[in-house]
Amino acid sequence: MSTPALDTIVAPATPLATSALAIVRIDGPLAHSIIKGLGAPKDLAERRAVFVRLETAEGPLDEVIVISYVAPKSFTGNDLIEITCHGSPLIVGTLVKEVIDRGARMAEPGEFTERAVLNGKLDLVQAEAIGDLINSRTTLQAQLSLSNLGGTLSRWAGEIRADLLFLIARLEGALDFADEGYTFITDEEAMRHLDEDLARIRSLAETARRGRGLRDGLTAVILGRPNAGKSTLLNHLCGSERAIVTPTPGTTRDLIRETVIVGGLPVTFIDTAGLRTGGELVEEIGQFRALEAASKADLVIWLEDSSDPDLTDVPSEARDAILVFSKVDQKAAPPEGLGISARTGAGMTVLWERLDREVRDRFRPPEGSPLIVNARQEREINEAGDALRQARLGVSEGLSEEMILVDLYAASSAIGRLTGAISSSEIQNEIFSNFCIGK
Amino acid sequence: MRFDVVVIGGGHAGAEASRAASRAGFSVAMITLLADSVGRMSCNPAIGGLAKGHLVKEIDALGGLMGEATDRAGIQFKVLNRSKGPAVQGPRAQCDRDLYAAAVQDILNREPNFSLIEGCVARVSLEGVRVTGVILEDGTAISCRAVIATTGTFLRSLMHSGEHKVVGGRFGEPSAEGLSGSFRELGLSLGRLKTGTPPRVLANSADYSKMAPQPGDDRPRPFSILTDRIELPQILCYMTHTGEFAHDLIRQNLHRAPMYSGQIQAAGPRYCPSIEDKVVRFADKAQHHVFVEPEGLNHPWLYLNGVSTSLPADIQDAVVHSIPGLVSAVIARYGYAVEYDFVEPQQLDPSLQVRGVEGLFLAGQINGTSGYEEAAGQGLMAGMNAVQLLRGEEPVVLRRDQAYLGVMIDDLVTQGTLEPYRMFTSRAEHRLLLGCDSVYERLSPLARNLGFLDHERSRRTALRKERSKALSQALDEVTLNPDRETNQRLEPLGISLNGPGSLSRLIQRPAFSLPAFTEALAGWTVLERVTSIMAEASEEEIDGVVNRIRYAGYVEKGEREAARLQSEEGVRIPVDFRFERPGLSREVVEKLNRIRPHSLGQASRIPGVTPAAVSLIRMFLRQQSRSLERAV
Repeated sequence: MSTPALDTIVAPATPLATSALAIVRIDGPLAHSIIKGLGAPKDLAERRAVFVRLETAEGPLDEVIVISYVAPKSFTGNDLIEITCHGSPLIVGTLVKEVIDRGARMAEPGEFTERAVLNGKLDLVQAEAIGDLINSRTTLQAQLSLSNLGGTLSRWAGEIRADLLFLIARLEGALDFADEGYTFITDEEAMRHLDEDLARIRSLAETARRGRGLRDGLTAVILGRPNAGKSTLLNHLCGSERAIVTPTPGTTRDLIRETVIVGGLPVTFIDTAGLRTGGELVEEIGQFRALEAASKADLVIWLEDSSDPDLTDVPSEARDAILVFSKVDQKAAPPEGLGISARTGAGMTVLWERLDREVRDRFRPPEGSPLIVNARQEREINEAGDALRQARLGVSEGLSEEMILVDLYAASSAIGRLTGAISSSEIQNEIFSNFCIGK
Repeated sequence: MRFDVVVIGGGHAGAEASRAASRAGFSVAMITLLADSVGRMSCNPAIGGLAKGHLVKEIDALGGLMGEATDRAGIQFKVLNRSKGPAVQGPRAQCDRDLYAAAVQDILNREPNFSLIEGCVARVSLEGVRVTGVILEDGTAISCRAVIATTGTFLRSLMHSGEHKVVGGRFGEPSAEGLSGSFRELGLSLGRLKTGTPPRVLANSADYSKMAPQPGDDRPRPFSILTDRIELPQILCYMTHTGEFAHDLIRQNLHRAPMYSGQIQAAGPRYCPSIEDKVVRFADKAQHHVFVEPEGLNHPWLYLNGVSTSLPADIQDAVVHSIPGLVSAVIARYGYAVEYDFVEPQQLDPSLQVRGVEGLFLAGQINGTSGYEEAAGQGLMAGMNAVQLLRGEEPVVLRRDQAYLGVMIDDLVTQGTLEPYRMFTSRAEHRLLLGCDSVYERLSPLARNLGFLDHERSRRTALRKERSKALSQALDEVTLNPDRETNQRLEPLGISLNGPGSLSRLIQRPAFSLPAFTEALAGWTVLERVTSIMAEASEEEIDGVVNRIRYAGYVEKGEREAARLQSEEGVRIPVDFRFERPGLSREVVEKLNRIRPHSLGQASRIPGVTPAAVSLIRMFLRQQSRSLERAV
């Protein structure tokens, strides 16, 4: 079987929506002849923006800018054409169809990047980081993807893996040379290594939580008794009239959400139904949802009406909540409390500062720390942690080395997959499936 | 003269290769330097051990002879690693070396298609790239369609004892000088290795009262499924140790040891180090074990396992005399080292056929391995694959999750070796699936389907399979109730039941132990269904069933991992796949072209082929198959 000739692929590199401009890419041996067939000059200059009037059999299509790249000096390493046309889905669709009629085919998701990898322009880890970059929602997330590209995560994971190999070698030795009378490692020593590695994995898994915050944003739930002023607070935080504010207790029956950037991360604030006993059925359902949302939230704000004479016990869902007293324009907050007034705006700056600090301390990754940015990496680190806990259990139960080793090898492979030291088609599929067509 | 298959050499590899091919109905000529030395144990008088015992069991399941011969010559049987889990326990037997060789010769002589020729092969004849026969040194031409070279340490071999050098492969036996040249002419690259033996002392000159007796197992467990009972009387071995005096002496005389003086340049085994190596490498150890092993029931010699050496005779005398129990021992033969050529095994296909030379197979120490069991295993596979070639059928290639044999051959042809290759359980990543108690289920059906299994083995493996199934069913189905009798019976096991449960559930309890359980079963009428099956089954069979239940969680984990890897590694690389691709460095391409891996998994195990390179190959393969799909 000989290698089939490389074919030519085409796809829009920008979303198919009405916009000022759109980009279409053509990659492969036919790229240059196709664009020339569509009206580009025979002597199309390389790596220059060239104005071209695209012509089809049905007449003129668009006035575009064409940039031509010649193999191997392109992103993919092949002959590559980038066409910047006007951003009408109709024009883009017609252009792609014309290119396909001239011998190209529609690209598969991630195929441009895959070609770059196959031509040695990128390695897989870089390809994955590019996927993360494309999908970044905040500049901070983009910066951290870049830092991983620079090897921060690999270095951390590498240290854990090296220690696992140290343990593995000793347990293997104990199996292979059981009769020689050597002690390779004591149970206590093995336990100590396992505990250290588990601690390292826990701190990596912790960065996964922070990484997830970066990727998906955080949620902050506002809880409190009816009419404590939750909806007013939400509106203040979001600067809009998203929640209906009425003086009637129990107006908010469903969850209301709004997203703002706090401490560099996207935070979605959720307004909830007030917590009280009694009331209508709809309201009870709303209260149930409120508590459920609070138990899943990254941050909880417990709002207490300082003008209300009987302060309640905070429910368990809100134990770690930020305690805020509302309506301080009517009655001052207790001395230790954070008081606000939605009406006068008093205390709001302090609340913002508090929220900003919480996000930075608890969710924003510290400078220079490794960060698990994507779901695949998070799954691998969790798998490694589970396996190590199994291994630890094995040692404490006095199991024979070969059983403990099963879990140590599993942990070590999970970490290897995390950094790309172990490759698999599963990983490759996952990396490229995160791309859309045209990337 | 004309045969289907010529086997060069009558050691453990040669014997298995000859047996397999003649068993399958092909005529075989074994050509050996000395007819008497067929099946000889040239080094230690023992078969099996950790991982090596696994190989012997696999050989038995595939119809080989090593297990049978061991059962007929074994004078002390012991399962090693008893304190570990079942998958890594390795059976070992001390053998009477004369009875062992006699058993091998007897088994071979019973094969109707087998002939023995005494002689020395000078070269292999070829027609183009196909083997057509061999020429002996006296000019005799023998034609054949397949040659299996199992020449052991006899290629350009040199024996060293102190400053003395003698040409020869084994004490008192000549070296095969011509064949090395013949292999070079074929364009094969050869390397050089060394191995060594310890001194042997006269049994009647040892003082056993100063050494610790080492008994075997109470009930010797046979290696072969054909053996019902071990017939020979069982003996004791002894353990003693070296001390500081000997270590100092060795250190002072290192310059006289060929390995250290530079007289031997070849690489020796790190795993079976000479006493000189041990003293240098483990400088802080005040003692090293010495296992004192009789060479036979009536043999006059003892083998001093653990003090392999090539130091001069006067030093050997002093070292031996410093060992408790051997103070006035008389050395009957001094230890020596052998240096020999081997063929770098990356030049072989996984069938053990030399790549590019149809019909030429290599097996045993010629491929850089050490040990009887490793040699026998390769001999068996080479014999089977020579037969497959003559039949025009696909070669038999065992997977790494299928057998230690598969691990060994994959290691050799993929990674080669820099020192004599010995089997270890640590080499087998799927070892939990490769326990000795599952060999017949794993391997016998394959050998039977290809016609390598004799009738009696087929019958016994089939019976065993049925019994195992019935037993595990019974253990699942028979339920114990938490009544007073039950709990009384279970008391010695430290188990008391609170609710009803199957015997399988009982087996999975941490406190469970098979011997105590068997005792508890005696005369327990409600459990007759189980006890009657157990009465029929061998100890090994029962172990197999019980272990499978007891360690089900780990075995399933292992099976999942194997399946995952298989889907990953099983991806075939077409024979004519071009590795010259952008993104793959010249160095990596060179390695890939040298080994020509058959699968992605094999490619990933080639030293120097990076995960990134494997990823790229996978992507090229994927791109290739996608564009083929589109073309359809």
